[in-house]
Amino acid sequence: MKKPIAITVLFLTLACVTPICRSLSTLALAKGDDFNAAVKVVERFYGVKHKSIPFLARAGIKTATAVARMAGGEKRRIAEAGSVQVAYFEDQDFSSKGNFANFKFSMNAALGSWSPLLQATEKGEAQTHVYLRENNEKFQILVVALERSEGCVVQVTVSPQTLALLLKDPDDMGRAITAEATTDDQ
Amino acid sequence: MKSLFQKSLKTIALAGLLVSCVAATARAQNPRIETNQLDALAAKASQTVDVNIDERLIQLTIRFIGKGPDEQKLKEIINGLKGIYVKSFEFEKEGEYAVADLESVRSQLRNAAWNKIVNIQSKKEGSVEVYLMSNAGQISGLAVLASDPKEITVVNIIGNVDLDKLSELEGQFGIPDLGIEVKPKRKN
Repeated sequence: MKKPIAITVLFLTLACVTPICRSLSTLALAKGDDFNAAVKVVERFYGVKHKSIPFLARAGIKTATAVARMAGGEKRRIAEAGSVQVAYFEDQDFSSKGNFANFKFSMNAALGSWSPLLQATEKGEAQTHVYLRENNEKFQILVVALERSEGCVVQVTVSPQTLALLLKDPDDMGRAITAEATTDDQ
Repeated sequence: MKSLFQKSLKTIALAGLLVSCVAATARAQNPRIETNQLDALAAKASQTVDVNIDERLIQLTIRFIGKGPDEQKLKEIINGLKGIYVKSFEFEKEGEYAVADLESVRSQLRNAAWNKIVNIQSKKEGSVEVYLMSNAGQISGLAVLASDPKEITVVNIIGNVDLDKLSELEGQFGIPDLGIEVKPKRKN
């Protein structure tokens, strides 16, 4: 009589554990994979494909002068070492005239756990979206910058000190981060 | 039994009314202006800017900003602020937006909690309206609605704004240069 009860309990436990594990893994993926989610939004919205910048090219990422300029002193990198993720789009059509509001809506929905700091468009051809998220004692910044035929999605981790500096000019923040992540100074 | 049911129903209805009154008052006292309804203008605009800096980010700036004289001055200005929100649209031609588009913002500022302290109207150069919300003698929010035939800007600053230093915030935190000189003339 005890054996069927034990089997039932085992089945019930398995039935409960599986969905819990699945939702936990989805949660982990959702938190860690927002960079890919942002890239996918760009790809689906504009029907384009990204290119990843090769690791070796990324190793020579430029020292950002924008932060140095804003700080009015010593040069330093914006991003914490090893924290840069970049997806690059080349020879694509990103004409955003009339699409900005819809694109903004899709991106905000995909990046639900991020705070949109700046969302700007110019002449229907260039658009910048800057999102922020706290990560332990650091901050993650995700920038989506699209121009007429090229664009990039960049995610970096910055120190609170760097973020405080960048916050003084949110518009320049997007430019500084994309410049750091996509320019090779070698 | 029936009268007990009717009494309970009345009590529930009264409670509901009270809750909705409290919610409406709270909404009316909220210095944060809803501007999402303007997003539809982005389709016609040649340039759009939407900046959202919440209290956490302001606190972070205060905590970590440098120690230079300019930074200290800025720290003083933003100390006490709980949010800076800017939305701006620029159009290539005149007439691409209607005055009615701004009505959704103006209607929020028309309630008793807001006082219009600046009102400049010019057919050529457009208009600038500055509104203040105060609670118990302390400023709790500021709204600037600037428009000309080719541009609309809505700036919403939450918290205790120092009006004498408002112009020093222009050009920082996404706030455009609006050329505002506010000499407060508070309503009695």
